[in-house]
This record gives sequence, C-alpha cells and structure tokens, in this order.
Amino acid sequence: MAHLFDPAGTTHALIVYLALSLVASFLLLLALHRLLGPRGRRWLVVLVTFVGGLFFGLEWFYPAHGHPSKNFLTEWIEPVSNMLAVVGAFTVGLGIYSLTQVHGRNVLRRRIGWHNSAAFFLAMVAMLVFTLWEHYLRLPQPTPKLVPWPKGVYEILFNGIFMPLQAATFSLLAFYIASAAYRAFRIQTAEAGLMMAAAFIVMLGQVPFGAWLTSALPEVGSPLAFFRLEKLGEWVMSWLNTPAQRGITFGIAVGALAMSLRIWLSLERGTFFSEQS
Amino acid sequence: MGGSLEHANWFMTVLFCAMSAVIVASVVLAQRGRAMFIRPIPGLAAIDEAVGRATEMGRPMFFSTGLHGITIVTLQALAILAHIVRLAAAHATRLIVATASSTLLPVAEESVREAYAAAGRPESYRADDVRFVSDDQFAYALGSIGIMARDRTATNFFFGSFFAEALVLTENGRALGALQVAGCPDPTQIPFFIATCDYVVIGDEYYAASAYLTREPTLTGSLVGQDIVKAAIILLVLVGAAIATYLGAADAGAHNPLLKLLAQGG
Amino acid sequence: MQPPPISFWHRAQQIPRHYIYLLLAAVVVWQLLFPIRLPIAPSVATRGVYDAIAAVPDDQLILISTDWDASTEAETAPQTQTVIEACFQQKKRFCIMNLQPPMGVKLAHDIAQKTAARYGARYGVDWCNWGYKYGYDNVLMAMAKNIPKAIGGDFYGKPVASLPMMEGVKDVKSIGLVVEITGLSGLTEMWIGLIQGPYRVPFASAYTAVMAPGYYPFLDSGQMKGMLVGAKGAAEMEVLVKRPGKATDIMNVQSWAHVLIIALILVGNAGYVLARVRAGGRER
Repeated sequence: MAHLFDPAGTTHALIVYLALSLVASFLLLLALHRLLGPRGRRWLVVLVTFVGGLFFGLEWFYPAHGHPSKNFLTEWIEPVSNMLAVVGAFTVGLGIYSLTQVHGRNVLRRRIGWHNSAAFFLAMVAMLVFTLWEHYLRLPQPTPKLVPWPKGVYEILFNGIFMPLQAATFSLLAFYIASAAYRAFRIQTAEAGLMMAAAFIVMLGQVPFGAWLTSALPEVGSPLAFFRLEKLGEWVMSWLNTPAQRGITFGIAVGALAMSLRIWLSLERGTFFSEQS
Repeated sequence: MGGSLEHANWFMTVLFCAMSAVIVASVVLAQRGRAMFIRPIPGLAAIDEAVGRATEMGRPMFFSTGLHGITIVTLQALAILAHIVRLAAAHATRLIVATASSTLLPVAEESVREAYAAAGRPESYRADDVRFVSDDQFAYALGSIGIMARDRTATNFFFGSFFAEALVLTENGRALGALQVAGCPDPTQIPFFIATCDYVVIGDEYYAASAYLTREPTLTGSLVGQDIVKAAIILLVLVGAAIATYLGAADAGAHNPLLKLLAQGG
Repeated sequence: MQPPPISFWHRAQQIPRHYIYLLLAAVVVWQLLFPIRLPIAPSVATRGVYDAIAAVPDDQLILISTDWDASTEAETAPQTQTVIEACFQQKKRFCIMNLQPPMGVKLAHDIAQKTAARYGARYGVDWCNWGYKYGYDNVLMAMAKNIPKAIGGDFYGKPVASLPMMEGVKDVKSIGLVVEITGLSGLTEMWIGLIQGPYRVPFASAYTAVMAPGYYPFLDSGQMKGMLVGAKGAAEMEVLVKRPGKATDIMNVQSWAHVLIIALILVGNAGYVLARVRAGGRER
C-alpha cells in the first residue's frame, strides 16, 4: 500500500494523477464546506490532529522487530513525511503572496519608505530570474573559466552580494555583544559576581591569551595544573555547565511532552480553537 | 550495549505512559475544581505592562515568532500571541506580527483573526499586520528591525525559536528605545536576551505561558502534572546515581544486570 | 539651580556604544595587521576528533556533513578545512554532504578541491561530494539502509554508485565516522538518534562557539568522540595537523577582543561601585 506514494513513472501518469488530485480535492472541499458547519469543522480538525499524532506516536511505540527494526507502520513513515514536506513547500507561494501584498501596497500608494519596497521587488525578481536562468544553462562541471553573462550576474548577486551580507550581519554580533555585555553586566548581587567570575574564566580560557596568563603553572602532574585558565575553563564547561544544560533539557523535554499531549488531545486553547464551542 | 532508538524500547514506553498518565490525571483533577498554585513568572506578568506602555505612547507593538515553522515552540508562541492580541484589542493598540516561515503564516493569520474576534473587535484585524518577512535568518532579522524602526514600535515581543539573529533583533530594538519581553526554551540564546531585554521567560517557564496567562483549569493542571514528572525525574536521577556509584565502587563489572538496566533501560 | 555635574564614574557606566564599536574594530584591525602570536594547546575535545579520524579503518568512509553557510563561515570554514586536512594526511577516504542550508555544500566543495590539489588527491577515488540532500531525518533513515539509493546523484549529478570509492558501499556499516560541522541546532540530535545511537557509528562534531555549551552533555556521555568548539577548536586542529591557517589568525584577534570586553565590563562595574560609594559618602 505504501507504493501508492511512489512517484509517477511517466508524464502521462503524472498528468492523470494531478488532474484526479485536483478534482478530488475540489469535490472534497466543496463537500466539507456544504455538509459541515463550524462545529463540524472543529471536530474534523480535532480528528485529523488526533489521527496524525497517533500515527507517528504509534509507529514509534508499537513493538518493532528485525534489524533495522520495523513494525506494520514503519513503511508508511517515509511517504507520509515526504507528503508533509510537499504540502509545506506549497506554502512558499503563500509567503511570496504576503510579501507582494504588503510591499505592493506601499509602492502603489507611495507610502513613506516606498522606495524600500521597490528595492525589495527589484532584488526578488533579479534573484529569481538569474537563479533560474543559471540553473537552466546547465553548464558542465567543473565550471569552465569563461561563462555566459547570466551566470556572471548570478555569481555577483549570490557570491558577491548575498553571501557577504550574511557574513557581515553575523559579524555585527561581535559588536553587539560587546556593547550588551558592557551595559548589562553589573555586579549587583553575590550571584552576579559568581557569574561574572565564571564568565571571565571561560572567556580567557577560550583564547591563547588566557593560557599565556597562567603558563607559569605546571601543565601536568601537579594540583596547580588545575588552575591553568584553559583547564579551569574546561572544568567550568564540563562540570558546571553540562549538568545545568542537562537539567534544562529535562525540563524543556517534559514541557514539550505536556504541550504535545495538549495539542494532540486538542486541549490547548487560544491558538486554533475559539473560546466559544 | 544500548538499544535501537528507531523505536521505543519497553523502558521508554513505560516511562512515557507513566509521565503522560500523571499529566492527564492532573488535568482531570484541575477540571474537577481542584485549586492549583502557579508561582509568579515575571516575564509573563510583564506582558500587561508592556501592552500598557505601547497604549500610553500611542505607538504600535511588534511580535516576532522566531525562525521555525509549525513546531511545539512556535505553537506556544502563537498561544502567547493570542493573549497579547486580546489585550491589544481591548486597548485599541496596533500589533504587527512578523513570521519567518511561510508555513506558519496562515496559522498566525488565523490565530490573530480569531483572537480579535474573541475580544469582540474583529474589525481591528489588519491582514497587512501579520507578515511573512523571509525564511533566511538574517534577512528576517534585518526585515524585522526595519519594521521596528519604521513603525517606531514601543514594545517588542520575541517568543519562539531564536538563534544567532536574536542579539541582532534585540540590541537594535533596545537602541530604538522599545520595551522588550522575550521567551525562548532553548538556553543558547537566553544570555543574549537577558543582556538586551527588560523581561525574559526562561526554559520551561515558556511552556507554562498558556496556563499562566489564561489560568484555564486544563492548562494549569497540565503544568502541575509537568512539575510532578520533573520531581520524579530528579528522584530517578538521584537513585540512578547512587546505584551507579555503589556498583562502580563495588567494581560490579559490565555484565551486571542492574548496570545494564541503568545503561540502556532494557 | 544647575543640575549637579555628571561624575567621571557615572560617565564610565555610560560610554556611548559607538566608541565601543570603534574600539573593538581598532583591536581587530591591530591584531590582523600586527598579530601577537601566542601558543595554542589542543584540548581533550579537539584531540578526540583527531583521534577519531585516525581510528577509522581503511575499508570504511568518513562522512563529513557540512551544514553551514556564509554567516558562520568564519568558524565553520576553518573547522571544515582542518578536518579535511586530517583526512587527507591520514589517507582516509571521505564524503561531504549537506542537509541544510544548501549553500554549505558548495563552500565545503571549494575547500575540499583546493586542499585535494595540495595532496594530489583525486575526486571519486580519495574523496567525493554527495551534495545537498533535502529531507533531514528521512535522508538519514534511508541512508542507513541503502546509501546509493538514498543519495542518488553526487554534487555533479553523477550517480554516486559509479564513483570508484563507492564500490562496495551499501549501508551505514560502510561509514566509520560521521563528522557534523554546523552552526544550526537540531541536526546533531538527528544524527545521534538515527545513526550513532542505533548503529553505533562513531560521531564527532564541530560547532560555533555559541552553541557548543549545549552539546557538552553528549561529549560527556560518550555519544560524541570529540568536539571542535568554534574558531578555537579549528585553531587547535591546525596545531594537530601542523598547518597554521585562518583559525590561528582569528585566535590572535579573539584573544584581544575578549580582553577588551573584559576591560569594558570592569570599567563599567568600577564606575557603578565607585559612583555608589561617592553618592553614599555625599549623603552622610
């Protein structure tokens, strides 16, 4: 039955599948719209949520045998996950529609800053056009030294503009952490003082300067070796940080379990379910 | 040594069923009217103050759902968003929502529209105020900063999954003079939020948000159930550590059945 | 009545951020132009990665998952460089692949190509690039059972099964080590949950410095053989492979940047404490 989700073998089969899917989807939506009122639609959402969660949960908990381990649901995991990925991919169109709506209105009504929205359209169209053009040039690999001009423009847009912008924005973090650390770290309590000491030890332990500061201490074979900044820093990360991270992970995992149960059993309020039943 | 993680072994199944049973039992007890205590969570209590500030200043608010699409973390963010929308509707304060996932966009739109309707102000909903910015991390951050700067937001909320762009967002928000409330279950970005935001919701306080804000018995019961489960885990850790220490001291050897049970859970 | 003058100690708490940014930029430029080189000693975590590469049997492959992009290139590119150097030096065959984001596989490919030229290594024989594979855990689950079917075409679009080094490579048992190099959260848990855990494939990793603290529990529990932490880890690997490079230069800069940040925090706190002491003295 899982072979139902195998890709179509021929173009003819693909067209038939697409046409059938569109007709079936249209009829299903029409039937749901006509036959189900708001209450019925709510219960449909509850049912789909429950069955969806049950499928993945049951596949994991149901006894499995063999190596690799399988149960009667395992062969369905891959096609169902692929199906969900395809559905998710369609929503890219929704995102583009939303952006076009918002920025389109700014440009058409000449609102303040409309030139930014115009720049957005220029960048989006340019990237789209030249990326697709470059792809369909189907240049041989490795790329020859002389390339057609669309490939050149694509390289400028992607490697020359987009990638350096990404790297530059990430680099801003260094400046922001310097100003945020200077502004926020005040030793107002004993705990803050402890935190500051730990921060200094780890910061200095991470860099060669810190190792140089305590280089006079022996490296091995002496209790004093522990006080070398790089070893002290590693000790803080392994013996103080690790248990704390584990504790936080346990708490978050339990919280996520409870939240998952609430969503699976449709107990969560305020997100998908209106206050009136 | 070690079992397959492709499927649950008996130990995980028993543990999961026990934890779920405790949580569900706690929910049932709460629904039957049992009073349950939740300690104050400053970050969530500050939401009212934050909305009030924007109302007094006559400026809009900004809400960021973080980077991911439809995940547990983002769904919790939407629950918090719904609460903020109800407050905003009551005070006639504008709220701009920026998402980084096109999958999340229709869900966020529906959530906001329903919250305005529940607050009795369906006409206050503006489609343009729930936007998809970009799914690229830093493009999203810079686009959001542009929204904060151009619309001069008085209050910024950051709830969801955040990564390196968190500091870029919040430091700029602070420089623009906004009051900022953030919450993220992932501990990696918490230090940056603490340095730049006025209030921060940490770790599993984040998952307590919907219970804390609505005080609904179902959600409160779930929260108390979580705490009971956490207490049980702490007890298991202590017992396991004691047994492992004893076995280590007694030089029990790799084939000791108790040691194998501790190591792999079955 | 005129307001009291703002004391020096109050000013010390309120240095405009533009001056802080200028100071930091000056320190970075200074160290790039006039580096003060200090010795770097490899940590236990970094040695773990190096030793894990050395321990891979000759009939198995090393799989390097390069899940990073230009934003984290400063840390992850030197990490990738040093891991590939170690593989070439120890004559271990390796494959690059990428789960997310897609641009990482091209960046890693360029690094591997340049490094291969130095060692006279041949594509398809000593190393190959499986390319970007969409699907996250689906890819890993499929790969565990049948690598040629799961991977399909390589970076150039050729079937991976046609590459000489892929002869006899069927499933996850052909992989002797997975090295995950990433700036993204969540992927490690997938590798450990689907490959390292069930199949006991040795696993090592390299992360940006910000996210590394969250993964120490995996190192402590033995699920990871080793871990490179940020540019520091890459610099330590450069010491082990005996090829100082970008990471070593970065560490010179990072040393003094950390010193500057610590100095600023101390100045701010000195201002805070002394301003309070003076205000308390005036009240008395």
